Amino acid sequence: MTSSPQKNKTNVGRRNFIKTAVVAGAATTLPSEKGAAAQNRTVTETGVSQGLAPPSVEQMSMEASTPEQVSEVQSDQGPAATETESAKYFGSDFMIDVMKSLDLDYVFSNPGSSFLGLHESITVYGGNRKPEFITCMHEESAAAMANGYYKAALKPAAIMCHGTVGLQHAAMNLYNAWCDRVPLIAILGNTVDASDRMGGTTWRHSAQDPAAMVRDFTKWDDQPASLQAFAESMVRGWKIATTPPMEPIVLAVDSTLQETAVEDPESLKIPRYTPSEPPQGERGAVRKTAKLLVDAEEPVIIVDRLARTPEGMRLLVELAELLNVPVIDIASRQNMPTSHYLNQTRQSGRLISRADLVLGMEVTDFWGQVNSVNRAEMTSEPRVKEGTKLVTISVNDLYMKSNYQDFQRYAPVDISISGDAEATLPALIEEVKEAMSRSRRRVLAQKEKTFRKMHADSFEESRQLAARGWNSSPVSTARLSMEIYEQIKAEDWALVSVGASERFISSWPHRLWNFDEHYRYLGIGAGGGVGYGLPAAVGAALANKALGRFSVNIQCDGDFMYANGALWTAAHHRIPLLTVMHNNRAYAQESMLVQGTANRRKRGVERASIGTLIQDPNIDYAKLAEGMGVWSAGPIENPDDLRPALIEAVKVVKSGYPALVDVVTQMR
Amino acid sequence: MNIKYFPGVLLLWILFSAVGVSAQEDANAVERGLKTFMRVGCYECHGTDGKGSEAGTALTPETLPPEAIANFIRFSPGRMPVYPVEVLSDEEIIDIVAYLESVPLSPDADDVDILKALALDKK
Repeated sequence: MTSSPQKNKTNVGRRNFIKTAVVAGAATTLPSEKGAAAQNRTVTETGVSQGLAPPSVEQMSMEASTPEQVSEVQSDQGPAATETESAKYFGSDFMIDVMKSLDLDYVFSNPGSSFLGLHESITVYGGNRKPEFITCMHEESAAAMANGYYKAALKPAAIMCHGTVGLQHAAMNLYNAWCDRVPLIAILGNTVDASDRMGGTTWRHSAQDPAAMVRDFTKWDDQPASLQAFAESMVRGWKIATTPPMEPIVLAVDSTLQETAVEDPESLKIPRYTPSEPPQGERGAVRKTAKLLVDAEEPVIIVDRLARTPEGMRLLVELAELLNVPVIDIASRQNMPTSHYLNQTRQSGRLISRADLVLGMEVTDFWGQVNSVNRAEMTSEPRVKEGTKLVTISVNDLYMKSNYQDFQRYAPVDISISGDAEATLPALIEEVKEAMSRSRRRVLAQKEKTFRKMHADSFEESRQLAARGWNSSPVSTARLSMEIYEQIKAEDWALVSVGASERFISSWPHRLWNFDEHYRYLGIGAGGGVGYGLPAAVGAALANKALGRFSVNIQCDGDFMYANGALWTAAHHRIPLLTVMHNNRAYAQESMLVQGTANRRKRGVERASIGTLIQDPNIDYAKLAEGMGVWSAGPIENPDDLRPALIEAVKVVKSGYPALVDVVTQMR
Repeated sequence: MNIKYFPGVLLLWILFSAVGVSAQEDANAVERGLKTFMRVGCYECHGTDGKGSEAGTALTPETLPPEAIANFIRFSPGRMPVYPVEVLSDEEIIDIVAYLESVPLSPDADDVDILKALALDKK
């Protein structure tokens, strides 16, 4: 094996490092004093002194059964050590210090040879704390976990994977995060210098431009060529990802750079991170919008991802109450409390058709809200009457890539304000107060009674409808939802996932549960990619564990089978999460659509369910969970068996562990 | 109702009126109706016992007469898939109605402890 000149100068193998570090003893101080407090730690505080070294090359080779595999394992070890070299601080150690300076809590990852240095530095050098390595069974799960984690913790997490095969796995849930405006940091292992690739897998796990594969649906990427560049790119990337419109970013990290022995650590600087203030809408346009709102007779507010934080919810309530304007919450985040009388989501059709002003805030598909579509006939017509003023406040126009077109149909509007809606709300509220006379305030106040009655009537209608099929088997989705709520409502609960759409369970939680806090609901897998639900729930539950919240996940069966290894992650890391299966034994949405197509073509429906049913054999989800070390019950077909199982499951979750209850349900 | 469909609906009504009595007397109509209900996928949106969901309206306990159902599903302009006569015959619709009419009533919301508690919480 040969090494590049550069490598001969700077690199040392992991085995040598561990040996040297242990011999060097307890007083090895990390070099930079300019980073976070974490950098004041010494090696004695890390795993090195605790005997937590990873398996040796020999041990790993012994696990490989064929000569070819042994060769590949050896070739995956990255640059080799030379007996004369010694080092106390590696490139990957510095990278971890940069991550610590950003207070990064977790790296969700499945281990891989292109980021061995980083892996070892996280677990051994860094003591596996901030960041902690969360073992995932699939990179797609890792990306979804980071997505769910962000939405619960409101703090980015990282994923780490090969720049080739790992990223190929992770791509779908990166796309879900992109569509969901979720910031996460994707770190890709890569060996840039071809002469550093030691044959076999190192070639297959390297690429000239690994981020290219996901560039169309990530906000920024870089492949830094030096450690100093890494520090700046990591901080820059964090900043870019968390500035609205928030999106994933990608850093490809050279494996040789990870192994670089840092000879002059003091020369490396970790830049100070200062969050960007989110862009606010232009004040003149905000003033015009305020005047329209005050003067409108039947205005409607539509929100989707308005509330980035709890403050967004508080501000929306303040604006709505000021004007007594009804709010339709599409709820990709929990924007408006469901119990608030101005949450009129269930009346959206009626309200939009009567509106003389529609204000959309952070609505991805505003066109789809003010128009109705007949998919079968491929026709559309306006839902709003002629002359209705349309106003949008969003970062949609700052969120542009060409290839993937989740921006939806172009929506002609009267005022389009480019700015983060949550950041713009204080100014809008101020302008509304300024524009509203006392007499107008009295007139608007009179609407309260009407909206309170509409809200109460809507709730009561849903309550009555929930009783329909209460004793049915398969279990109705209303009963499924309400039996869960009965067991969790006394907790500080959060519905961390419902998969790709709450409509799959007829939206019962939002019809009858009391979502009175921003964190009670985290939205859906926004790209519609299946395989989001369970891992996203696990990531969110990990965040909620630290926040003392009780996490519940209503889990579609089709989605579960994409990424069920996430259950093992929950068991392994002791992540308390109640998963209740909505086991309708089908890809029901597609089943309905194929059936509709067959009917329209007058071909009968006998074969329309081929490919859409998950039957023959039925899957035993409780057994799958049990096999991964998760407490489980089911399959439950008799609705009267549901409550006792949920009571036991809640006990398990409250004791700090995951639990799964498999319920055989109606399709919707 | 769209006027262009009226003659067809009238014919269907006459047809169903003529055969309706015999269908109700057929002891097997309920069983046939259930099988058809499952086979043609009605249960997917409306539930196995027709109690409805957000994807499909409740078909019980206020079950429409066969002619009204036929009129709707033959010409549905909305989300409901169109079921032409080649896919679902008039006789099969009569059987489905027989099945739906046999489905036991659901409890009232106030007779369900969880749902009753919701109302009390609201007060």
